Parts: sequence; C-alpha cells; structure tokens
Amino acid sequence: MIERLDLFRAVAERRTDEVVVTTMTATLQWPLVSQHPLDFDFLAFGMGHASDFGMGLALARPERKVIVWKGDGGLLMSLGSLVTMARYGPANLIVLLLENRSYEMVGGQPLPPGVDFVGLAVAAGMEGGGREGSGRIERWETLDDVDRRLPEVLTEPGPHFVVIPVHNSEPLPPVSHSDHAQRVIDLRTALGLPER
Amino acid sequence: MTPGPSATAAVGKIRSLGFTHVLSIPDSESRLLHDAVGDAADLELIVPCREGESIAIAAGLWAGGAKPLLLVQNTGLMEAGDALRGCGLGPKIPLRMLVGWRGFAGAEAGKLPIDSAYTYTEALLQAWSIPYEILDRADGLGAIERMDATAEQTQLPAAVLVARRFEP
Repeated sequence: MIERLDLFRAVAERRTDEVVVTTMTATLQWPLVSQHPLDFDFLAFGMGHASDFGMGLALARPERKVIVWKGDGGLLMSLGSLVTMARYGPANLIVLLLENRSYEMVGGQPLPPGVDFVGLAVAAGMEGGGREGSGRIERWETLDDVDRRLPEVLTEPGPHFVVIPVHNSEPLPPVSHSDHAQRVIDLRTALGLPER
Repeated sequence: MTPGPSATAAVGKIRSLGFTHVLSIPDSESRLLHDAVGDAADLELIVPCREGESIAIAAGLWAGGAKPLLLVQNTGLMEAGDALRGCGLGPKIPLRMLVGWRGFAGAEAGKLPIDSAYTYTEALLQAWSIPYEILDRADGLGAIERMDATAEQTQLPAAVLVARRFEP
C-alpha cells in the first residue's frame, strides 16, 4: 500500500502537459504537489462522475492525455462508467483509481469489503477495450511499480485503468469550494479554447 | 394520433447546428432518432449506461471544445439530478438536451392514471430554471434550434421536451 502523497509526488514529477482531473480527497492533496494550469478540480461537480468528465475531455482533445484521479467509493457510485469507458474510452484517457476502501471524504465509512476493482474492470471489458481496442488494466502496489510503469502508461495508447492501493497519514488541507464556472473557464483557457 | 417528428429530419437539424457528439440512453420513444444518429457518419453516438454519466461526459466534451447533445428520457433526467446540478447548472455549462416526455401521450388522451413521469417533468425543469421548448408535432423541429440558441445565449442548460415518438 502506498502513502497517497508519495504517489502524488511520483506522478507530479513525471507529469508534463497532461490534463489532471481530481476529485474528493485528491482535490485536497494534489495541489500540495502540483500547481499547474491543466489541473482541474472536479469536487462537487457530481459524485462518481470524475472519470466520465475526463472521458469527455479526452474525446474532445485526442492530442492530449487526460489523467483522472478517481476514488474507489466514487467508482461504486457510478459503476456503469467502467462499462462505458470499456466501450468508448479513447486511447488518451488514464484513470488512476485510488483504492483506500473507504468513503474517506464523507466520514471514512468502509466500502463493501470483497470488491475486486481489477476484476470489475476485467468484467466490464476494459482489457483490450476502449475505442481502439487498446485498453489496459493494471494494479500498482508499490512506488517501484509506479516508477516502472508510469512512463509507459503516459506514452502508450489506452484507455488505462490502474488500481492503486493507498493510505493517507498526512493531515488533509481544508476543503476550498472555488467558483465552479471559473474552474471550467480556466481549464478551457489553458487548453487554448475561448472561455465559452 | 398526431404524428411525431422525423428522425431523419432531426438528424439533419442536429447536424446543421454543429453538434459533434450525441449521448443517448436507449428509450422506445426516441429509438428511431438514436438509430439515425448511429447511421450518421459525421455525428459520434455514445451510449452510456445512465444519464448521470451522459451529463458528465457531455460536460467534459464541452470543456474540451466539442458540442454535445444529450438525448435522454424524463425519467433518466430525474435520476441524473445531481449530475445536472454539478456539471451543468453550477459550472454554467450550456448542456443541450432532448428530453423524451414519457407520459405525454397518455395524459393527452386523458388516460388514467396519469404517469407521474409526465406530471413532474415540467415542474422539475421549472424548479431548476431550465428553459424548455416543447416538440409535439412533425414540423416542430425548430424547437431544437431555439433551444440551442437559448443555451448559447444563457450559457446554461436548455431542453426540448419531445412529446411524440420519432418517426422514420
């Protein structure tokens, strides 16, 4: 199991011009390691839908990789998203599933204990799936796995679905609800699009 | 029974308005439009599993510079309320929606009991302050154009309530 902030640091160090979509507790800790115009805070846009939003972005911007930090609780809230990604997910989409086995943001209530997230992705058709049939499923258990596999995931066609067991022993910064419309405008601007 | 709009003509209207993607959840009333979009080489049909997904994908598409159209039934829109709030109304993303109005035909015919999906549809859109047009006749496809213009002008979600089944 990986300390989440160490994981974030490892990914932030290798990240270049990818869009990074965060949600739930990732929105609190990712900014500790990254302040990038292509960071997009999805908090309060709709529970469980960060990877759906990321998929839409990736479809619209095929020239650019889109990384989504998604929680395991959020995935259970929109489990069909896996099936949709397995059918339509573009090659530039990377979903990094933070597996902490709890609804951490809303009180730490435990998830159903027996859920196998890799197994769910397999059953949804992710392996060899996606728009171009290049979907990949992985599980990274250690920071060595991250160092070894991340460069390939960032460069090879996906969609990639990576399950990463994490824990957190760091204090969480407070929630900051910045203006939602402005977040979207900022993202579009960073992508070189008109504000609206 | 009053005939509904032509699916083929509706695809022409959708195309003329510059939509790039259509996110459709299967529904018997819109089946022919769903199929016609699937046959249109210049429109990308995406069939998510639920309407909340559709809305979030559409929001991402719009944020990335595409122009998506949502094709959902009123019941699905009710299911997707939080996604509509979070990915449309809150961040001011101009989601364009064709909403199948389940229950309209029965209510029009005075058939009892009235489908609650019919009853709450307009009330729900009004509660969300979502402007809507009603498409209830074959020559009413201008409703899509007006809805599109409203969404563009307000930079907020707008809808067309599709009261009749699409015809070929």
